[in-house]
Amino acid sequence: MTLSQLNRLALRQSRASWRLLEWRALAAALLIAICLSTLLAVTGAKLEKSLGQQSAALLGADLVISSSRPLPDKRAQAASTYGLQSSTVTQLSSMLSGNDKFLLGSIKAVAEPYPLRGEISTAPALGSVPEPGTVWAEKTVLQRLGLNVGDPLTLGYSTLTISAELLSTPDRGRGFGSFNPMVILNQADLAATQLIAPGARIDYRLLIAGPKTQVDQFEQSLLPQLSSAERLVSLNSEGNLQGNLQQNLNRYLRLSAVMALLLCALTILLSLRRFSHASLNRAAVLLNLGLQPGQLVQLFGLQLLQLWLVCAAAGTLIALLLDSLVASLLNSMIPGQLPDATLLHWLQGALMGLVLLTTLGLPPLLAISRVSVSQLLRQSEPASVTTGKVLMGLALLALLVWIGLYLDSPVLALALTAVLVGVSWALGLIGQWLTRRLATLLSGRLKLGRLLVLRIQQQRRWQKLQIPVMSLLLALMALLWLARGDLMERWAEQLPLDSANHFVINIQPWEKDPLAAFMQQQGVEAELYPMVRARITGKNGLANAEAFNAEQKQHNSLNRELNLTWRSQLARGNEVIEGSWPPKTDDNGNTVSVESNVAAHLGLKLGDTLSFSVGANQFEATVDSIRKVKWDSFQPNFYMVFAPAALEKLPTSYITAFYLPPENSTTANGLLEQFPTLTLIAIEQLLAQARQLIEHLVDASSLIMAMSLLAGTILVITLMTQERAQRRYENALLQALGASNRDCQQLDRLEFGLTGLVCGALAALLAELALWPIHQMALKVDPVIHPSSWLILPLLGMALFTLLGSLSRRAPRSLWTQLRAR
Amino acid sequence: MTTPDYSPVVQATGLTKWFDSHSGRLSLFSELELTIQRGESVAIIGPSGSGKSTLLSLLAGLDSPSHGDVMIAGQALAQLDDSQRAALRSQHLSFIFQAFHLLPELNALENVMLPLEIRGQQNAEATARQWLDNVGLAERHSHYPPMLSGGEQQRVAIARAFATEPTLLFADEPTGNLDQSTGDAIVEQLFTLNREYSTTLILITHDSRLAARCGRVLQLQQGQLVEQPAAGSAQADAAEEAHP
Ligand SMILES: Nc1ncnc2c1ncn2[C@@H]1O[C@H](COP(=O)(O)OP(=O)(O)OP(=O)(O)O)[C@@H](O)[C@H]1O
Ligand SMILES: [Mg+2]
Repeated sequence: MTLSQLNRLALRQSRASWRLLEWRALAAALLIAICLSTLLAVTGAKLEKSLGQQSAALLGADLVISSSRPLPDKRAQAASTYGLQSSTVTQLSSMLSGNDKFLLGSIKAVAEPYPLRGEISTAPALGSVPEPGTVWAEKTVLQRLGLNVGDPLTLGYSTLTISAELLSTPDRGRGFGSFNPMVILNQADLAATQLIAPGARIDYRLLIAGPKTQVDQFEQSLLPQLSSAERLVSLNSEGNLQGNLQQNLNRYLRLSAVMALLLCALTILLSLRRFSHASLNRAAVLLNLGLQPGQLVQLFGLQLLQLWLVCAAAGTLIALLLDSLVASLLNSMIPGQLPDATLLHWLQGALMGLVLLTTLGLPPLLAISRVSVSQLLRQSEPASVTTGKVLMGLALLALLVWIGLYLDSPVLALALTAVLVGVSWALGLIGQWLTRRLATLLSGRLKLGRLLVLRIQQQRRWQKLQIPVMSLLLALMALLWLARGDLMERWAEQLPLDSANHFVINIQPWEKDPLAAFMQQQGVEAELYPMVRARITGKNGLANAEAFNAEQKQHNSLNRELNLTWRSQLARGNEVIEGSWPPKTDDNGNTVSVESNVAAHLGLKLGDTLSFSVGANQFEATVDSIRKVKWDSFQPNFYMVFAPAALEKLPTSYITAFYLPPENSTTANGLLEQFPTLTLIAIEQLLAQARQLIEHLVDASSLIMAMSLLAGTILVITLMTQERAQRRYENALLQALGASNRDCQQLDRLEFGLTGLVCGALAALLAELALWPIHQMALKVDPVIHPSSWLILPLLGMALFTLLGSLSRRAPRSLWTQLRAR
Repeated sequence: MTTPDYSPVVQATGLTKWFDSHSGRLSLFSELELTIQRGESVAIIGPSGSGKSTLLSLLAGLDSPSHGDVMIAGQALAQLDDSQRAALRSQHLSFIFQAFHLLPELNALENVMLPLEIRGQQNAEATARQWLDNVGLAERHSHYPPMLSGGEQQRVAIARAFATEPTLLFADEPTGNLDQSTGDAIVEQLFTLNREYSTTLILITHDSRLAARCGRVLQLQQGQLVEQPAAGSAQADAAEEAHP
């Protein structure tokens, strides 16, 4: 027989196989696996690429010097001596207001040439730096404030015209502020806003670009000269927040897909086994007609190849459609456009499907080839299936390796698989036991009760797979669902009522008294805390480098400017646990009260001397008390507290926190109108931003979960049909013994219903168990039981199983035919 | 006062059965008439493929005729719905199969109890035990079918069939899977019980000796049901006695 003849025969066989449920399940599982892994390969590639672009295009330069102080001119001059281009950028967080609304935004002031790498895009396109007197605002700004292009926008004391919508921009800056909605203005307009004031957190940047060798040389020459406020961000610098987010996102999406892929693999395995079993007779006939065993392998191999071709085409196509959906969800989390993936990434899913089909398909294929003609005479269980065990083990090993490659971490793959297998095994045992107990309890009450127990006993092999698969999937779904609605709300609920929900920072000394008067007039209680920004420069006469060990040097308090304050009365939520209060200042110098966590981290004891620097000013203070602070009191709290006179001469700004009931909309607007340079932080706005981020993440993984659920459903149907013949025969016999068709249907329904019920209950339990640590550790709120999930999940499980049961059960053939067929 | 007349226990009128398939219509028989009195024993014989098993399934209400009607114990099957038919089967009918058809996961006792439980009978276990003892399997109550020989399995099936004290017993080649001497013993038991409980017996067989023991022998051939000359045995007389 020639290959083309074989191919034609295989095509015929393929077409006939579509009638078989196992063949359809095989196709569906393969389709999902291909579609899902294509989707993830493409999304992953895009995320990775956008990470790569981060280097230059997203940085807006080849090298960036970033500082909390204005950069000295010599930096730019030095750059030009190396033949490099440079440009200064000033960025800060402040209030944007317009249309009687306000919003905390990120303000970036730029001057030509800008950016040095990458591109700014606006609608309408207006070049790369806004004209003086105009700003470009991101869509979020326009949406939140209800503004359009052409409307005025107030920044501090200036009101500028929005001349374009900002579509994307490189050089977003670093830190949490860079997530705020952004506006860009011309550097020439910055001074008039009066936002640059002591105490404001401002990021001054010098963007530098040029040929790589010069950039590298410049970077080397710069390193020893950097001041403590300055920081270099280069193509190869690490700790890039945005980069971490993207990498984690990628890994998170892949992890959430592993379950679906394992389910698909399991379905492929089981349905192929059944298919090969069902094909043994056919194979024996073909062998009897003179086909060689090798040709048999070719024939069935060709059939699988044809299946793969169909699934690969369809799967890739569906992935193409879903890709735009995922991209739109991720785009809201990742600024800028996601880049395109390459053809290879688009083919990855199809290739993976081929690997999966080959490794899992080989054992059953070989089983077919080992069939002997005597099979036709015996009609007995062929022994050849067991010989596939070694091969099957190899196939599973290959699967594990593949997951390892896929997650880019063999350890994670192994751990994940081990956890999944362990949990599934336990779930299988518990679930099976529960179902049997329930059936036994019911059996006294039902006409076919004994049969129900028997049926469940009989199906235990499959139930041990069905129950874990379904309960894990339902639990994951519930988890996503609860996380989406529940977590943020519960956290917000947990905030003590009347606790401060607004913070105001950047209050300048001359604004202090008018502001206090304004608040009093509004009837809002608000205490103003002075704030001096300083760095710790040493301890007990030694510089930081010698005074602290490597671990201590990692601590935030040594790497950032700290907010120092002064007061004589102990603030609410503060408790002195060592030493004496209040801090003093006299001819012997200053003393300082230190927060207990910082003290512990930096190894500070009573009597230690700390050195501080504020700009050019240096001063020292002796630790004379350690305070314990309740940080969740939602009041401004400080690591370091001095005596009032100690910091008097240093540049000071003030901070305050207060509670505004939701219905009060006038106070905040009035405040900003009168004091335009203040930064008002509304906790609710921050929460809303965080919630949106979580929602998009959940939506993206919901899509993957939906596919997992589909894969699980197909697996459950496959499992249900494993014993379908047995079930049919049994029903026929029962009917011959006097049971009605309805009784038998009821028996099936009870079996499926019970299994579903148990799955749902286990899922509810799993979801609670998984939420427990999230509540306790991440959110620090008391765990609660979710009655709704305990109600809905079991019902959902029952409905799902009953539905699947009725799908997997086709109209019974005549009873007699059933009984005779044996 | 008149008691309702249950005889004839089976009455088929204009019974027709065909199967439709891709390759056309396969017509097995048409317009068969058959009346079986209470307590009769009837053998149906005929070549393989002539439709004996199909006829049996129609008489027992396990399958529906293409045409015509069957009445069992005065009730027309066509007028009953699924659950009523099931109730009728449970009340009046029992089966013995060539392949025994015991449930392998149930032991002998549980297999016999099964139809009693389906009926919702109270003393199912005691009755089942009694019947297993009756067929000579007193020692084997807790044995599972795979551990029993073919003859023993068929005896369990007989106990299961008689335990519900049926009006009608259908048997499709009950000895077909057994060797001759075992088959003979089974047949002996079948007829003894049949006599004791005056059950109506309808059986299909290829075994002429078994057929000869029945009161009537009907041959199904080319769609016709032909009454064979009776062997003239005690059973026939018994039937007469029951319905003077
Ligand atoms: N459900 C069905 N669909 C199509 N054809 C059927 C069906 N059931 C039975 N037949 C056909 O009807 C014919 C009679 O079958 P039946 O089993 O009644 O014969 P039989 O007389 O009992 O044969 P045997 O002595 O071999 O048991 C056969 O040709 C069979 O293939
Ligand atoms: Mg037959």
